[in-house]
Amino acid sequence: MSTQPSKIVSLEQALAGVPDGASVGLGGWIFTSQPMALVRELIRQGAKDLDLIPTPGSIAPDMLIGAGRARSTVCVFLSFEQYGLAPHFRRAAEAGTLKVHEMDGPGIAGGLRAAICDLPFMPIPDLATDLPKVNPQHYRTLPTQPGERRLLAVPPVRPDICLIHAQQADEHGNVQFIGAPFFDVMLAQASRRVVVSVDRIVSHDVIRRNNHLTKLPAHMVDAVVEVPYGAHPTASASLYRADDAHLREYVKASGKPENFAAYLERYVGKPRSNAEYLDEMSASRLAGLAVSESNLG
Amino acid sequence: MTNTEYSTGEMLAVLLARDLADGEHAIIGTNSDIQLAACNLAQHLQGPRLSWISGPGGMISPKRDELLSTADYENIESAEAWLDLPNMIDFIDWKIHFFDFAILSALQVDRFGNINTVVLGDHAKPKLRGPGTVGIAALTGLSKRFYVVLTRHDRSAFVPKLDFLCGPGHLDGGNSREEYGLPPGGPRLVVTPLGVFDFAPGTRAMRVRSLNPGVSLAQVIDATGFELVVEGTPPVTEPPSAEELQLLRTRVDSTGVLRKKFP
Repeated sequence: MSTQPSKIVSLEQALAGVPDGASVGLGGWIFTSQPMALVRELIRQGAKDLDLIPTPGSIAPDMLIGAGRARSTVCVFLSFEQYGLAPHFRRAAEAGTLKVHEMDGPGIAGGLRAAICDLPFMPIPDLATDLPKVNPQHYRTLPTQPGERRLLAVPPVRPDICLIHAQQADEHGNVQFIGAPFFDVMLAQASRRVVVSVDRIVSHDVIRRNNHLTKLPAHMVDAVVEVPYGAHPTASASLYRADDAHLREYVKASGKPENFAAYLERYVGKPRSNAEYLDEMSASRLAGLAVSESNLG
Repeated sequence: MTNTEYSTGEMLAVLLARDLADGEHAIIGTNSDIQLAACNLAQHLQGPRLSWISGPGGMISPKRDELLSTADYENIESAEAWLDLPNMIDFIDWKIHFFDFAILSALQVDRFGNINTVVLGDHAKPKLRGPGTVGIAALTGLSKRFYVVLTRHDRSAFVPKLDFLCGPGHLDGGNSREEYGLPPGGPRLVVTPLGVFDFAPGTRAMRVRSLNPGVSLAQVIDATGFELVVEGTPPVTEPPSAEELQLLRTRVDSTGVLRKKFP
């Protein structure tokens, strides 16, 4: 029906031309909807000296840091929750080899809003933290009148590209979230280029019938990639849970450089497609993830 | 484990649950098993209309018999509502006293209940790189009160000076919090494996409120890197009752997450 070209592209096309030094927004929340297929492809394509903007994250920023592709990261919250601290982020930060832009929730939200609204800064409340001391680039004191709330100014946080994972989209680029979208919509609004991976492409009719799920309308999206299990080893709402065994494998491999190099070769370097990546998992492993948490004892 | 024995995580959840009131509004952040257990247990006891909102996911008062990450999709199926984060952060990041309370964990806490989850050591080259601030500054700065729950109590956690302040408590004590321009509030209780602590009126310095069963005052003083306020002989913390443990294990944490993670 539509005369507009489809926004569906391959993984390779979606990330072609991301230059060294690009700032990269990463969507999702810890072990939910991290854009992992896109991250693996970004590593394969070789862009380096990236400035990461996870909102917040776990394995997506950590893998990019571990693969040596990041020169800095915003840190709102980077954690492996029950598996401890994010291993490569922690090591690089402690070694002083990774620049960390320390931010909090109000800071990242204010920075994204400033970018969305084309404002020079957004005010946020001054909450008496040490953040402005270590990150004067993102936190400036705003003059206020006596008796008013103390405020900080946060300049725009505007990623060159953002990588987001959602459950489904149509060929026009209408993206639907079956679960919580976390910061993904703000991240997309603030970014210069928006690339979304989805577990499945659905018809435009399906999108219209469930239009309350469309959180990113087509005009906010530049490219859509269909990658089943594209958030693996993190979860995708209603479709699969996080792969705890794989996350443990990642953390274990991160303990020694040679083991992590082998991990990267097996899961990132060698597979030439998402299908080949999934072939590294057993069918029973993937099938087991597609079970509702509610049904588990 | 018999019915009257309990794990550290279970005890901390029970101690917190007792202080929460019916009808209150709480926010539960990411990675918050003990916090979530405390709120859900309080709902089964004195607070059936206590409600909580998932910081990451925006779901309001999901009901389940087991602990689940607050970000998890499955919280949606039993929630009263779920809000998009861009709407919710106006309440979280800005609104004064929208939440009655928040419960936070920390790498370090000082004698005025300020907390650090960012780094140990120098920020540019830390000895330990922590997970970061996330919503902590706003939760401790803007909610009516907050709690600090720590699963360890030693001099590396209870320090005279934080390596990084990311959650404002009573700042430098006395009226310094209000003088800085922060809303009234601050920490109410700190709960640890050794005891329960509150803040003395006036100085707002941390005070021993009760000692957990089997713990001596000397032991607590030795494990704390600053001077605690001690008034008389502190009482012994009332241990979790059979009813509290029964509810916790059947209606809140039926899969035993607290026992596994915080033995």
